[in-house]
Amino acid sequence: MKIRTNTEGLCQVVAISGSADVNASALLREALLGAIEGGATRLVCDLTETDFICSDALGVLITAYLKATGRGGFVKLANPQPHLTEVLETTRLNRLFDVYADVSCALASA
Amino acid sequence: MTSNPPKTDDLGAWTERVLATDLAEIRAAERDVLTRLRELAYDDDHLFAVRLAFEEALVNAMKHGNQLDPSRSVRIAYRISPERVEIRVADEGTGFNPGVVPDPTSDENLEKPCGRGIMLMRCYMDKVEFSPQGNEVFMVKNRQP
Repeated sequence: MKIRTNTEGLCQVVAISGSADVNASALLREALLGAIEGGATRLVCDLTETDFICSDALGVLITAYLKATGRGGFVKLANPQPHLTEVLETTRLNRLFDVYADVSCALASA
Repeated sequence: MTSNPPKTDDLGAWTERVLATDLAEIRAAERDVLTRLRELAYDDDHLFAVRLAFEEALVNAMKHGNQLDPSRSVRIAYRISPERVEIRVADEGTGFNPGVVPDPTSDENLEKPCGRGIMLMRCYMDKVEFSPQGNEVFMVKNRQP
C-alpha cells in the first residue's frame, strides 16, 4: 500500500493505493492520525486505487473519523471501487461515512 | 487440526502449513491461496471474498486466539478445486463463543473500530463453522452461488 497526501484548500486529500490489509494498517494509522494530530482535521480519503480493505484498516478509518469529528472536522471517502463499496455496505459503514463519487465531489461538499 | 483432521477425498489433498504468530506471515499464506485460485480461473469477486475471509480468520487467530504470542502457532489447511474452496484456520488459544459476538452493524456499534472480522467472514463465504471450543474455523466458498 502507498499513501500520497496533498492539500486542497482547507482539506487534506489522502490517496490510498494498493491493499489496505492488516500489515498496511499501521502506515494508514500513521498517515491519518498523524495528519489529525498535526491539525488537519478535514480529510478526504481517495479510495480510487484501493483494491482491498480489511477490518483492521476499517478500524483505522473509524478511529480517524472519531478523532476528526471530535475536533470539528471530518473524514470523507471518495470513489471506492465496487469491492470496497460492497464492504462499506456490508458493514453499514456507508451510514457512518459520507461517501462521494470522486474527490472533487467530496471537496465540494466540504 | 484439532477437530476433523483433514483427509483426502474427491476435492483433492489438503495443503497444510504451520505459521508463526506473526502478522507478516499472512501475506505469503494469502498469496499461495490466491495463486491457486487464479490458476483455476476464479473471478475477481471470489479472489476478493476468499482473501478477505482468510485474512480475517488469520488475524483473529493470531491476535485474539494466540494473543500475538510468538511461541504459539497457527495451523492452516486448504484445498481448492474448480468448484469449491475450503479453508481451515486453527490457533492455540482458549477459544471463544462466536454466538456472543456483538453485531457490528447495529447502530450502537457502528463507531466501534473493532469486531467486524467474523461478520465479514460470514458475509463473504458460503459456510463458516467454528469448532466447539472456538479456536478453529472452517470456511467454504463455492464457485457457483
